[in-house]
Amino acid sequence: MTADTATARSRGSLAAEMARARRRRYRAFIGRLFAHRSFLLGFVLLGGIVVLAAGANVIAPYNPDQNDYHSFLAPPSAAHWMGTDEFGRDVMSRVIFGTRVSLRIGLGVVVASGILGTLIGALAGYVRWLDGALMRCMDGLMAFPGVLLAIALAAALGPSELSAIVALTVTFTPRTARIVRASVIVTKRMLYVEAALAAGAGHLRVLFRYILANTLSPLIVQLTFMFAVSILAEAILSFLGVGPPPPQPSLGNIIAGGRAYIQEAPWVTIYPGLAIACAVLGLNLMGDGLRDTIDPRLRTVREPR
Amino acid sequence: MDHSNRTSRRNLLAGTALAALAAALPKGAAAAAGGEIIFVQGSNPPSLDAMSTSSQASRNINMNIYETLYGFSEHTAPIPILAETVVVSDDGLTYRFPLRKGVKFHNLKEMTAKDVKASLERYRKVGATSNLLEAVKSIDITGDYEVTLTMHQATPTFLESFCSPRAPAVIIPEEDALAEAGKTSIIGTGPYKYVEYVPDSHVKLTRFAEYSQDTRMPDIDGFGGRKTAYLDTVTFRIMPEPGAQTAALEAGEVHIVEEISVPAGKRMEKNPNIKVYKNMPWAMLTLIMNLDVAPTNNPKFREAVQVALNMEEVMALATAGFYELDHGWQYKGTPYYAGDIGKSYYNQHDVARAKKLLAEAGYKGEEFSILTDSNYTEHNKAAVVIAGNLKAVGINAVINQVDWPTALKIRLQPTGWHGWTLMLGIEPYVGPVALVSTFTGKRPLFVKNDRELDVLYQELVIGKTVAARKVTFAKIQKRLYEFFGIIKLGDTGQMQAARSSVEGYRPFRFPRLYNVRVKA
Repeated sequence: MTADTATARSRGSLAAEMARARRRRYRAFIGRLFAHRSFLLGFVLLGGIVVLAAGANVIAPYNPDQNDYHSFLAPPSAAHWMGTDEFGRDVMSRVIFGTRVSLRIGLGVVVASGILGTLIGALAGYVRWLDGALMRCMDGLMAFPGVLLAIALAAALGPSELSAIVALTVTFTPRTARIVRASVIVTKRMLYVEAALAAGAGHLRVLFRYILANTLSPLIVQLTFMFAVSILAEAILSFLGVGPPPPQPSLGNIIAGGRAYIQEAPWVTIYPGLAIACAVLGLNLMGDGLRDTIDPRLRTVREPR
Repeated sequence: MDHSNRTSRRNLLAGTALAALAAALPKGAAAAAGGEIIFVQGSNPPSLDAMSTSSQASRNINMNIYETLYGFSEHTAPIPILAETVVVSDDGLTYRFPLRKGVKFHNLKEMTAKDVKASLERYRKVGATSNLLEAVKSIDITGDYEVTLTMHQATPTFLESFCSPRAPAVIIPEEDALAEAGKTSIIGTGPYKYVEYVPDSHVKLTRFAEYSQDTRMPDIDGFGGRKTAYLDTVTFRIMPEPGAQTAALEAGEVHIVEEISVPAGKRMEKNPNIKVYKNMPWAMLTLIMNLDVAPTNNPKFREAVQVALNMEEVMALATAGFYELDHGWQYKGTPYYAGDIGKSYYNQHDVARAKKLLAEAGYKGEEFSILTDSNYTEHNKAAVVIAGNLKAVGINAVINQVDWPTALKIRLQPTGWHGWTLMLGIEPYVGPVALVSTFTGKRPLFVKNDRELDVLYQELVIGKTVAARKVTFAKIQKRLYEFFGIIKLGDTGQMQAARSSVEGYRPFRFPRLYNVRVKA
């Protein structure tokens, strides 16, 4: 056995030990997360909705666009558990498919504004000369009321699912960018960052490997809440007629359709309303749980209770 | 015996006194007069200058403030209102209108021929449908209370067109006639006079105490007749939200709602405090094609759309069950109804025939974009059902739903839309000339002129008698079912609701709030 081989083995066992430690930390984190009651409740709620949305083709009892002019605005019955809407379409099937659209838009917004916001926030926080220009642009966007800006953009782009995603991404990106920038500014002054730079690491490596990795926790929490807000905002856009075009169901346009008959056929608005409430509540509870579990300071505060 | 005689005498005296009192009051005023009525409508009037707008929201209010020389009766026949009569020369080139004397404007000035001439001259400049007076060569004062219109050529349908309430040719004081569109002082001769307009809130009118009642008729008749303003004030409340409108009516905060949804109407019929009124037919629901772009520039494609549609499904869902299926381009029971012409194309829902026609048209799955708006539920619901019907035969139908002003803007563009759902309300009501004029002229509804229709329109306008015009209109209906530039989906109704305490309300093309009282 040569010295080199021994060193390699010793390096290998060190790496394996680190991987084991990481797995242990990960398992402990997941354990703590699921021990958190809010997170668990949120997970169950959202999980149920995701399963419904993902399996809509199998679970929905009817084609959501199938009109039936013999039974429009029919109350809930054995044939239609949530009744029918003004076109005689099955409300339950439309809510299930509508949830899929809402989740897809919410996820699209979270991914797009997460990536854009992270890039802009990281550049603004790390590259000093870019900070002023980038953040003033973000401030400019934030000066408009969020939903109003989204409505204007969606109206300009025309009603479609993609327009809704673009409009909400533009609206929510500045919020993500602010959070990432704040974290980057704090993190880049840390000793380990200086050490990495002193050891000759390049700026890109430092930014992505050491700084951004440490901004992920607040970002994930923020994105969870943003997911919930996106679902609500999508419902608002669809309610106002600038979301996905008819007959494509979305939770907002189902409610908008039933609004005129709220006294005669309340089921058309109640069930999609409940679906929105469950999705948003689920995401908010999960966000609370994540924040409590990720942020040790909050955990310490909560423990004595 | 004596006692009974005394009683009889007393009763006789009381009866005589009451009869004398009743004779002294305007007809019908024996019941409670005074009070306020609140009428709810969904949108602001764009203008209270009646000449310059064809909006229903404006017409609702304006026709209680202003009057015209001639107007339609309940059965759409021209009747005199501010005119005594009309004398048409044998050659059909002059129309002499003697005026009613003693008619006062809201500023208490008496209406004379000068006001009428000034008003009609203004209408030619600012009237939203100024083509009503296109046939008129000159407007001359031929007496203090007489105006004569001279035509370029004999136009037998002139009086019918002149009665059109779309953007009515109302009579206003001469001093107002120079005002730009929308800038008049809102003075008319009607039973109610203008008080205030607070946008997004209300328009308030008050009784015109010196109103010159037309005593030639026993009762109101269409836009004219014997009008009596019983109410002290009339308030038109603007409430865009249908749910809020019905809730306000049920709570007794308002008296009449201009239009309620059919399900709400069915529910409220059971409420003893509410009376539901049905106005049928109210409008024709149509699908208009853009003849200037592919694939709708192909008549075979348009025919495929016509035969693919299930009108029963479209109408039932678009109107929540308040509709009549009819292929005619005039309402059933009206003088110009053209019988079964085109019926074989109506409500076919023939998938095989539609597919065959699409193959003949060489259709390759191009997009068929249906323009519709979010403001009128009949429009957007019809679009959804139409898209479903068309997808079933293989047409790539998509819906472009925008707000009403945007839809109006888009439809004026030559491209960017293929079909457009629209209710034609006032045009079919006014008659064939008004309806067919929207299919011809500089910018027909379907964008590009159809030569044959243009020729038939000219024939219709110069048709000397109703019978002659009816023959022409039958040819027009036949042509409409040959080239399919516009597809009739069916007739829709309008449901209104009022508190039971409202007496004498009779639904019409606008809310006649005269001859209406409110029980205490």
